[in-house]
Amino acid sequence: MNVMQQDLSRETHTLHNHVHRREVLNVCGLSAGYGPMRVIHDLDLIVGSGERIGIVGLNGHGKSTLFYAIAGLTGWQRGSIKLNGIEVGRTRSQGPGRYTHQIVRAGLALIPQGDEIFHGLTVEEHLDSGAFTPRSWRERKERKERILQIFPPLKKLMAVPVGRLSGGERRMVSIGRGLMGEASLFLVDEPSLGLAPKIGKNVIDALMALDLGGSAMVIAEQNVSLLEGRVDRIIGMHVGKLKGEASAALMLHDQGGV
Amino acid sequence: MTELSQAQRTWRNPLFAWDSAQEVEQLPTASYVSHQEIWERTRSSRTELFKVGRLRYYHKWAGHGQSTWRRSRYWPTRRRVLRIRGEYNDKSLRREKTIVDKRPIWWVVGLMVLALVPLITPERLENTLLTAGVTFGIYAAINLCWMLVIGTASIFSLATYAIVGTAAFMTAYASTMFGLPWWLLPPLGAIIGLIFGGIIALPATRLDGFYYALLTLGLNELCRVYFVTSKEFGSATGGLYGAATYLPQDWSSTGQLQLAYYACFTLMLLALLLYRFINGRQLGRILRIAPEKREAFAEATGVDFRQARVRVFLISSVGLGFIGGFYSANYGGVAFSIFSFDTVLLGLAMLVIGGIGRAEGAVVGTLIVVFFDKVLITLGPIRLIIIGLIMLFVVLYLRNGLFGIKQQFRTWRDKKKSERRSTRAEKGGEMLPEEATEARNPDDVYRRRYDKMQREFLKKLVTPEVINEHRRAPQGQHSESLERLLIYFRNQPQPDKYAISALQSTNGYRIVALSGHRGVAPRVVEDKIYRSPVEAYHGVFLRRVQDLLES
Amino acid sequence: MDVWFVVSNTILLACIYGTLAIGVSITWSSLGLLNLAYGFIFAFAGYGAWLFAQHVSAWGPAVLASGVLAGALGGLFVCALAFIPIHDKPNFTIRGLIATLAINLIGTQSLLWWFGPRSKSLPEIFGTWKLSLPGMTLTADKAGNVITSVVMLLLVLRWMRSSRGGLEIRAMMMNPHAASIVGIGVRRTSFYVMAITGALAGLAAVLLSQTYYISPFGGLTPMIKAVSIALCGGLGSVQGAIIAAIVLGLNEALTTVAIGGRYVLITQFLMIILILLVRPRGIAGILDRAREA
Repeated sequence: MNVMQQDLSRETHTLHNHVHRREVLNVCGLSAGYGPMRVIHDLDLIVGSGERIGIVGLNGHGKSTLFYAIAGLTGWQRGSIKLNGIEVGRTRSQGPGRYTHQIVRAGLALIPQGDEIFHGLTVEEHLDSGAFTPRSWRERKERKERILQIFPPLKKLMAVPVGRLSGGERRMVSIGRGLMGEASLFLVDEPSLGLAPKIGKNVIDALMALDLGGSAMVIAEQNVSLLEGRVDRIIGMHVGKLKGEASAALMLHDQGGV
Repeated sequence: MTELSQAQRTWRNPLFAWDSAQEVEQLPTASYVSHQEIWERTRSSRTELFKVGRLRYYHKWAGHGQSTWRRSRYWPTRRRVLRIRGEYNDKSLRREKTIVDKRPIWWVVGLMVLALVPLITPERLENTLLTAGVTFGIYAAINLCWMLVIGTASIFSLATYAIVGTAAFMTAYASTMFGLPWWLLPPLGAIIGLIFGGIIALPATRLDGFYYALLTLGLNELCRVYFVTSKEFGSATGGLYGAATYLPQDWSSTGQLQLAYYACFTLMLLALLLYRFINGRQLGRILRIAPEKREAFAEATGVDFRQARVRVFLISSVGLGFIGGFYSANYGGVAFSIFSFDTVLLGLAMLVIGGIGRAEGAVVGTLIVVFFDKVLITLGPIRLIIIGLIMLFVVLYLRNGLFGIKQQFRTWRDKKKSERRSTRAEKGGEMLPEEATEARNPDDVYRRRYDKMQREFLKKLVTPEVINEHRRAPQGQHSESLERLLIYFRNQPQPDKYAISALQSTNGYRIVALSGHRGVAPRVVEDKIYRSPVEAYHGVFLRRVQDLLES
Repeated sequence: MDVWFVVSNTILLACIYGTLAIGVSITWSSLGLLNLAYGFIFAFAGYGAWLFAQHVSAWGPAVLASGVLAGALGGLFVCALAFIPIHDKPNFTIRGLIATLAINLIGTQSLLWWFGPRSKSLPEIFGTWKLSLPGMTLTADKAGNVITSVVMLLLVLRWMRSSRGGLEIRAMMMNPHAASIVGIGVRRTSFYVMAITGALAGLAAVLLSQTYYISPFGGLTPMIKAVSIALCGGLGSVQGAIIAAIVLGLNEALTTVAIGGRYVLITQFLMIILILLVRPRGIAGILDRAREA
């Protein structure tokens, strides 16, 4: 529980990543917010290839904002974000969402909280819409097959408009859409939010079973017990800053105690 | 200073001389950091300081001396002509006055200039300018009524000229067929306007803004086609002429023009009054509660905005009908061009250039467009292109027309300022300047700034040595830095302060956080159970240190 | 009443109106822009085709293609001027509407200034042949109009259904925010959309010029009809627009036969008002079954 030890362990961990893995994402000194509100404070995060990382933290502590900042969707941001070595962070974003599609095309798959879906498209078209690069468009049949293996319930629903699906099915479609492209970094925002515990667990299981290859995955969750022991690292997030693994354990205690 | 800090690396326990059992003679401790140094470092600004705040400049007028104030009021109401705020200036020891709202002055000056135009125009330009002036008066009146519909009632109707044109055609027809005198035409027009408005208000209650805009655009076209193809409305001659007019035929043409100018000027003044009475009173206020997209909220607070909207729409339709009747009495008839798409476009350009939702916007926008359209008539189609370009520029770059520039600039500046401020500095509990300008009690600002600096200082004292020292002896005599930390922790307010609760059952101790409210039990902070009070003390200390470092 | 005449006229009108209305509808639903510069694009395409016929070749299909291209160009122009600068600013819908109106004013006045008020006529694109069937005659322009517009519409709809660009447009129609998350750029897609709808307007301009003439203000009436049909069909719905085009085409043909061409607009508007009073969101309000939110 010593503060110094905690800092030390974080240091060694990042060092460890530097040596052994290719960096997929390197966030350095990132601050972001909306208007006068600053949500993320000087945050550093390094994600190596093949890693699965869980970010835990309570509501309103900046998990989604961190993902939005990486995707260029926040009001303003400062600091460097390197995706596969390409700088995608801009000191002043020209209004939210102006460059998002370019960042996505550079290899980001953002699976947002609350299912940003297209109501009128069928499940199949929906999955197609995730395959935006020419290569994945050509291979979309095989890719769809792969996703159906991960989410077998979707097989029967391929021709149904997404607007008529249930919450769990929508979440599967939304995640499936994110997995369609050739992303090197998957950002999954609260995959179990709003779902029945069992379905939420299934969704997480599917994410865990995914073969990442050279890419990496960051999962934001409020419920630590769903991720514990199944991801490579758990990082706590508290008022816009990342805390090391040690304090992630502490937060688990906090949640149990409150 | 530095020599001193070198020297005090170890701490000698004064109680050791009494040979107490637990005490140790010397302990390693943090090097002494002078709080003066910290203070100076905090005060010296690392970043450039910018002026912040939202004070606006007002000119201060001298007070009235000894006599009490005479405030001029509109008879018989208690409304004041000018909103003036009186203050006592602490520094000059004098009373002074501030004019809070200067718009009435601008209105009076502007209207006076417009009233004087016929007297000061040079002979050569008189014809052009006065003809343009007549058009300006009528169009400004129309636009004011339209502004009531678009701005106050937020019904995006494009059928304004359809109402005016229909009323004008009907009254001109009535006048030529039944020989009605000129002074009957405007009231008749008002009745026609009411009927027409009643018919098109029907879909307005059900349709969304855009659907209604398109529908009314179609209605306008429908009116045009109908009147153009009807023989009784003069499809052959391009309009219906020969209605009774108020201009005496035996006057000179200059005299007639001047009379027409003043008549139209009066019409505009009437429209301004109407605007003021609708927008500034009950109806307008009700509708300002229910701007678009907050309708559900307005309804929940008991405002019947639908009815208010329809009422505004009907009243302005009556006004438009009246103007239509006046139009045919002014020109002795009416041409089909009043229904043309370009007329609607020009009218919209007038509103947009001035800024939607303001009377001054309608008047000044009309002035600009009429100037290009009627005074620079020799330019040909280019003048309409110029108007279109101005309109395009205004709509692309200005949020609410020319009169919204000031507001837009201020919002933009505030946004940039606060964004830059929040990317620039860390907050750490201190009030941001933007907040500080709105804090009720200035003491709070300073208390929080002091607290922040104190924490900055204390953070530097947290070292492994200090933590080790506390673990060894949570109570008793401490080194200076530890003592400072402990005093700060003890002085924290009650809510969420850590405490230790002794567990009877297991003979252990647990850390809790006080609620700070009488009768509300403390909440448990962690599951860990400490075996001795000393361990628990240290646990509390570690938590507090962590909170301090995180703040 | 001559049934065949009514039917053939209905089909003809429905085709041309459908071409126009679908353009308006797609623009509105994918970009949130109510394109009232459509009249200008229409006239611009007509003049483009006329210039081509005058200076390059008067061969029918080439003239048609040049009109379509000119329309697409006009659409791109409107997009660059009225959509790109303000699409992420507050109050975009009203400002976009006014901006397109301003472009319409500038554009038509420029055309008037450049080409003069005299209207121009295009060569007969489909030739002058006639087909006599028992009970009716089929003129070249009617058959050509119907076939071309149906083919073009089918092509566009097929493209929207099955290609990647079409999928992007449809995705953006439904949820622009999600579209940017899956890597669809709003600005790039907006250029597609405006080029396609402009091309549709260009096609309609060339087809209509077989009956009417090309003049700077000639686009106004088609635009108003297109907008009101799109409105009646429910802004943003392609099927709704097609159904509305058929209904209003039938109405127009019937009115012309029964009471006279003068009353076409009146009956049409009465009908639109009636439909909108019953269904404030147009015919599509009935068709739409997907669960919202």
